[in-house]
Amino acid sequence: MLSNQPLFYWLLGYEAQRKRAWARAPEGALKDFLSVSFPDPDTPLNDIEILSVDFETTGLYAINDKLLSVGFIGVTQQQISLKDSYHQIIKTKDDLCADNVIIHQITDQQKEQGAPLKEVVEALLKALAGKVMLVHFARIERQFLQQACLALYGVAPPFPMIDTLMIAKRQLDKKDVAYDPSELRLSTLRHQHGLPNHFAHNALNDAIATAELLMVQMSEMSDNNSLTLHDLLL
Amino acid sequence: MDHELAEISAFLQAIPPFDTLPESLTLQLVKEINICYVRAKQPLPPNGIKEARLYILRKGALVYTDHNGQLVGKYTEGEICSVFCRPAQRNEVQVNTEEDTLLYSLDYQTLLSLVTDYPQIDAFFMQTAAERLKGKMGKVNEDAIINSSLINNPISQFYHKPVLTINRQQSIQQAALKMTEKNISCLVVVDDKEKGVSTPVGIVTDKDIRRRCVAEGLSFTQPVSKIMTADMATLPEQSSAYDALMLMTSKRIHHLPITGFSDAGEYGELVAMVTITDLMNNEGHNAVNITSIIRKAATINDLIRISKLLPKLQIRMAKLGTSADHIGKSISAITMAFTIRIIEMSEKINGKAPVPYAWVACGSQARQEQLAHSDQDNALIISDEVQPEHEAWFENLASFVCDGLAACGFILCPGDIMASNPKWRQPQQVWHQYFEQWVSTPSPQALLNGSVFFDFATVHGDESLLNEVRSKLLAKTKGNSLFLAHLSRNALMLRPPLGFFRDFVLISDGEHKASLDIKHNGIAPIVDLARIYALAEGIASVNTIERLKKAAGSPSISKESAANLIDAYEFLGILRLEHQANLLQAGKAPNNYLSPKKLSKLEREHLKDAFKVIKALQDSRQSTY
Repeated sequence: MLSNQPLFYWLLGYEAQRKRAWARAPEGALKDFLSVSFPDPDTPLNDIEILSVDFETTGLYAINDKLLSVGFIGVTQQQISLKDSYHQIIKTKDDLCADNVIIHQITDQQKEQGAPLKEVVEALLKALAGKVMLVHFARIERQFLQQACLALYGVAPPFPMIDTLMIAKRQLDKKDVAYDPSELRLSTLRHQHGLPNHFAHNALNDAIATAELLMVQMSEMSDNNSLTLHDLLL
Repeated sequence: MDHELAEISAFLQAIPPFDTLPESLTLQLVKEINICYVRAKQPLPPNGIKEARLYILRKGALVYTDHNGQLVGKYTEGEICSVFCRPAQRNEVQVNTEEDTLLYSLDYQTLLSLVTDYPQIDAFFMQTAAERLKGKMGKVNEDAIINSSLINNPISQFYHKPVLTINRQQSIQQAALKMTEKNISCLVVVDDKEKGVSTPVGIVTDKDIRRRCVAEGLSFTQPVSKIMTADMATLPEQSSAYDALMLMTSKRIHHLPITGFSDAGEYGELVAMVTITDLMNNEGHNAVNITSIIRKAATINDLIRISKLLPKLQIRMAKLGTSADHIGKSISAITMAFTIRIIEMSEKINGKAPVPYAWVACGSQARQEQLAHSDQDNALIISDEVQPEHEAWFENLASFVCDGLAACGFILCPGDIMASNPKWRQPQQVWHQYFEQWVSTPSPQALLNGSVFFDFATVHGDESLLNEVRSKLLAKTKGNSLFLAHLSRNALMLRPPLGFFRDFVLISDGEHKASLDIKHNGIAPIVDLARIYALAEGIASVNTIERLKKAAGSPSISKESAANLIDAYEFLGILRLEHQANLLQAGKAPNNYLSPKKLSKLEREHLKDAFKVIKALQDSRQSTY
C-alpha cells in the first residue's frame, strides 16, 4: 500500500487527496472536516492532537457488514482526557448475528435505541478535524469509515492514521524473529507492556486502551522528544 | 447498561475516599479524569503540570523522598498521590515513578466543585494523618459506647437508693432483722452524733453475721460494730460502673457504698449502694460474671475450667466492637481475680503471711492492657520486717501462684520475671536498691528490666509497700535527663514501618517485610513513649492511656499530640484484637503478625496515619534527648 512509497510522496499524497476530496464533497460535515489541513508531518509528536477511535462492527467487511458503535477519545500532550470521550451505538437496519452479540454485547434492543449512522459519522468527523486518527489495526476503521462516507456523501476521503498494531509489528519485524500474529492483539500488547486488563470490545474502552498503548509505545521509543508525526504515520 | 468507562468507575469506587460517593457522582468524576503514562524514574508531576491535581495510580509505583533523599513512602496500584494538591507538601516531598506508571489524574478544584455535598472528600486529602485518625477513632468510640455498657455508663445507672443504715450500738440481731425485713444483704453502720448527723463507720453483710458471729459463737446481742468491716471502700457517684467493678474486684467485696453530695449540699455523704449482682445483671455472660465465678472457685481445677472462657470472652468483646482499652482492662481484671483467688488458696494451705507483702503485677497486666493467655510477669515486695525463717512461706506462695496461673493458661514468663525467681521476691529495701541502680546507672539490661518494672501495680496485699517504692522511684526519674535519655534511646529502637508497598510492609530503609508486627512496631512504641512521659513528669499511673492523658500539656508532650497518640494506640489495639479474634475463632494461637494482604485499603490508610503519628513523636523525642 501507500506505506511502501517514499515518505515524501505519501505525505504529499494525504494533503493532495484531502484537497481533491474537499472539492468533490457536498456542503456539510464532510466538507467542514476536509477544509481543515491535516497536521504537518514534521510537527513533534508531543504537539500533535490525536483522536483515538474504535468501531464495533457486525463483521470484518465494510461492503456487507455494518457499523454498530463508535467510540473515540482525544489524546493531547500525552494525556487522555475522558471529558472528551464519545460513545454511541448506531441504529442499523439488519438484525444482529448471535455470534457477534457475544463479542460486542450490543443487543438488538440497544441498537434500536441507537443514533442514525449519519449523526454518529458527523460527530466523529467534527472531532477529527485537524487531528490524526489513532487506531489498532487500521484496515477496519479506515474501510468502514470510508464506506460510510461514500454512502452518506458520495466521497471516500483520506484519513491520516497512526496504528498501534503497525508500530508493534515494525518493532517485532526489526527483531527478525518469528512471532505469532496473536501477539499483535490489543490485549496481548497491553499485557506485554504492563498495562492493566481492560474490558475489550466496547468501542470507547478499546479507544482508550489503544490510546494508553500508544503512550507506552511512544515512551519506549528512543529519544521520544525528537519524534515527529511522520515517524508514526501509516 | 453501558459498560464504557465501567472499569474506570469500578476502579475509582473501590478506593477510599471515593468509595463513599454514590455511583452517579463517581461517573461524573470519571469524566474528569486525565490518563497519563510516565516511564520509570521520572519526576512527577508529568509534563510540568502546575495546577493542583490528584494522581491515582492505576498501574506502577511512586516513591516519595524528603529533601535529604530519605525514603518517605511508596505507593502503588489503587493508591492516591495528593502531594500536588497541598501547597505545603509540594516542596517537602519529591515524587518519582519507580516503575512505568499509568496515572489517572483529577483537577483538584474540579473535584471539589463536584463533591461539595461530600465534605469528607476534601477532608480526606487535606487533613493530616492525625486528623484523619481522630475522625476514624471518633466513629469507633461511638460504636464502642453503643456496644458497651459498664465502661461508659455512670454508676448511677446501677446503684440503688437509699442506703440502709444501722447505728453501731444496735445489736447483731437487730441488723439481721432489718436485713430480713428489707430483703437486703448489707447495711452501712453509722455513728449517730448530735443533731442527727450520722457518719458511716463500716459495713456489715449477711456473710459477716454467718462468719464472724454464728461461726465464731458470738452472741447476737453484741453490738453490730463488733462484726462490721471497718475500713469500708467507697466510690464517688460520678465514677463509671466499670470503676466500681475494678474496685470490687481488687477488694473482693460484693457491696460498694457510693458517695456524693447530700441534700444539704455536703460532699462525702453516702448516697447509694451498688452490688456486684447489679452489675452482673446488666451484662450477661461477661467479665463481671467471670470475675464473680472465679471468686467462688474452690480448687485450681475449677479455675482452669473458668480460664477456658477467657479467649471466648475476648473474641466476643472484640466482635462487639468494644474498645481495646476496655478489653485490656477486663482481661486484666480477670487475671487479677485469678491471681487473688490462687493467693487465697495458697494462704489456706500455708496459713497467713508472717509479715505484710504485696503481690505485684508487672508489664501489660499492671498497665491493664493484658490479653487472654499472655505470659505472666509478677513480683513480690515483702515488708522489711521479714526474717530469714519467713522465706519458705513466700517461696511456697510464689511457686504456688505462678504454677497456678500457668495452669490457667498464663504461661510462665520466658524472661523469668516472676515472684518464683528469688531475685524478684525481695524485701522493700532491696527493691529500693534495684530501682536506685536502674535509674542512676542505666545500662541496656537495666532498662530492659525497667520497662517491665516501671509498669507495676499491686494485685494483692499491702499497697503501701509498692506505693512507697513508686514514689521514691518517681522522685528520682522526674526530670532526670541522663536516665530519660537512655530510656528514650532504648525505646526509639522500635520504629513503626513507613507504610505498605503492594502486599508488603515497607521499612524505613526501603526493605520489605511480609507481615506487620503490630505489637512491636505499633503498640509497643506508644507504650514506651507513654512510660517515658510518665517517668519524666513523675506520673504514678501505669496504664498507657492514663499516662498519656496525665502527661498531656506537660513539657513532655502537648495535649494535641497526646490525643493523637491515644487515637493511634486505640486504633492499633482494635486492629490487633480483631486479628486475634479471627485467629482464636479459627482455632489458632493468637499472634501479632498482620498480613498486609488481609488488610482493607482503609485499614492500610489508617495504619499509615497511625505510623506517622508515632514517628512524629519519636522524632521529637529523639531531638529532645
